[in-house]
Amino acid sequence: MGWEEAQARGYEEFVRTAQRYHGRPIFALFCGDKDAEGRSWCPDCVTAEPVVRKELHNLPDESVFIYCLVGDRPYWKDPNNEFRRNLKLTAVPTILKYGTPQKLVEEECFKAELVRMLFTED
Amino acid sequence: GKNEYDLLVIGGGSGGLACAKEAAQFGRKVAVLDYVEPSPQGTSWGLGGTCVNVGCIPKKLMHQAALLGSALKDAQHYGWNIAQPVHHTWSVMAQGVQNYVKSLNWGHRVQLQDKKVKYFNMKGSFSDPHTVRGLTKAGKETIVTADNIVLATGGRPKYPTHIAGALEYGITSDDLFWLKESPGKTLPSFILYVSLECAGFLTGIGLDTTVMMRSIPLRGFDQASQMASLVTEHMESYGTKFLKRCFPTKVEKLKSNRLQVTWKNTDLGTEESDSFDTVMWAVGRAPDTKTLNLETVGVKTNSETGKIIVDASEATSVPHIYAIGDITEGRPELTPTAIAAGKLLAQRLFGQSSELMDYDNVPTTVFTPLEYGCVGLSEEAAVQCHGSDNIEVFHAYYKPLEFTVAERDATQCYMKMVCLREREQRILGLHFIGPNAGEVIQGFALAIKCGATYPQLMKTVGIHPTCAEEVTKLHITKRSGLDATVTGC
Repeated sequence: MGWEEAQARGYEEFVRTAQRYHGRPIFALFCGDKDAEGRSWCPDCVTAEPVVRKELHNLPDESVFIYCLVGDRPYWKDPNNEFRRNLKLTAVPTILKYGTPQKLVEEECFKAELVRMLFTED
Repeated sequence: GKNEYDLLVIGGGSGGLACAKEAAQFGRKVAVLDYVEPSPQGTSWGLGGTCVNVGCIPKKLMHQAALLGSALKDAQHYGWNIAQPVHHTWSVMAQGVQNYVKSLNWGHRVQLQDKKVKYFNMKGSFSDPHTVRGLTKAGKETIVTADNIVLATGGRPKYPTHIAGALEYGITSDDLFWLKESPGKTLPSFILYVSLECAGFLTGIGLDTTVMMRSIPLRGFDQASQMASLVTEHMESYGTKFLKRCFPTKVEKLKSNRLQVTWKNTDLGTEESDSFDTVMWAVGRAPDTKTLNLETVGVKTNSETGKIIVDASEATSVPHIYAIGDITEGRPELTPTAIAAGKLLAQRLFGQSSELMDYDNVPTTVFTPLEYGCVGLSEEAAVQCHGSDNIEVFHAYYKPLEFTVAERDATQCYMKMVCLREREQRILGLHFIGPNAGEVIQGFALAIKCGATYPQLMKTVGIHPTCAEEVTKLHITKRSGLDATVTGC
């Protein structure tokens, strides 16, 4: 079985989604919310998303890719939001391997080789 | 040239990574081979070398865990309501430390990738002077050729294999930092700074810890034994047990799964034994050269230590093969010197620099419960070099302000400074035992590098109230025989 994608909006839905796939390798991309035209308020997320999506075919079998919209800009700027507090996220976009210290932040997400490394490294 | 890489670095530790990254800055084609042979107990780890995985980093974090335990005890005196006794859970600390180390492994991976350094998780061995055969854990082979090769494979803890049961039942620092469960009642054996540091934090988190030593503590450090004795005295007063002038003869496993250690007490001429949960060996480190195949290419090593012989430019006996870090003969086994040597080497190879590494006056610190920091010559080295008539030793016993209200014993808080006696009275060495010794000594390392003198130090105003300010007030000499205890301000 290859990999599959799940979507989540907001922290609680993210946690529920991750719990649903407990036991399988989980990768997550966190981006700012998108408007009616599908554009995110976070310009770096707009740049990162296509780069990440192009590397998804490198995901290991059985793994899950969670695409998570964190919220609007004021929510994200709040230093106490749940993503910052509980997941220790410092910026969007962040792409991480859930449950490990392995992650890429901001411009690191623009680099295909780094994204590929995150997906394929042990 | 015909070789695939400009530079191949074998060993992804402090020295190796620094050298590789610096060379990549010059736009060179660089590759790094890193491989961790699992310890006899099966422990292994990621990229970053000894410092990151089984040395400085986890050691300092666990030392901090122990210091926090002491702070919690002091806290009552400062008004905090904390139920005593306070308990420590190894697995919580271990997980925090191990997670941080793993984030460093990942950070190094990202950095190498980002700087376009090719990384192979493989064990390297020479086929010929410009060709290295890399082997993965699964046995897959890759051939790498390079114009220049840097050996930076570091060292691993030795086992006292002549002691029955030592290899099968004992662990080393390689394993200690990766234990998921508490080591329980532990016997770190013999004396090197590693065993004192480990014994120190194990005691500090509440474990029953005994250090067995055949002869003298802290071999290689201030041999007047003064500093070493003060450090171990402090540890003793804080609960670490010491079995002095004893050496183990065998280790056996009991039905309970505990370990029975038998030893000879050379003072009393008796044989004794006791049971422990863990026996940890700290009998020295051996350079990791066995599988490199150095003989094939003619890289010379020291016959006694096995370390690679290098000249002032880190060159080995083979022209384009260099070595840095713990693997080299006569160099300090320290991260900062390996990093600096690695960077300078890359600058000389690819950056038109001719600057050599300066190994003089390297400051260092032993992170025992009461820390010992030093820079420059030991008292004994100074005497040997200049003669006791030509040096002056200033010293003082002091009490950190923080110890007063907490009613802590400051008996071993001590400092001494070794100076030349004549002319400008240049400072040759500074030795400090006390809290935050590393932080205290760092700044003085610059002073010594600049050739600071005793009169200049006396003109330096101290920061009050600190322990470090006592350095600027040193005035009692050993020669005078006067009481060196600092009195109040």
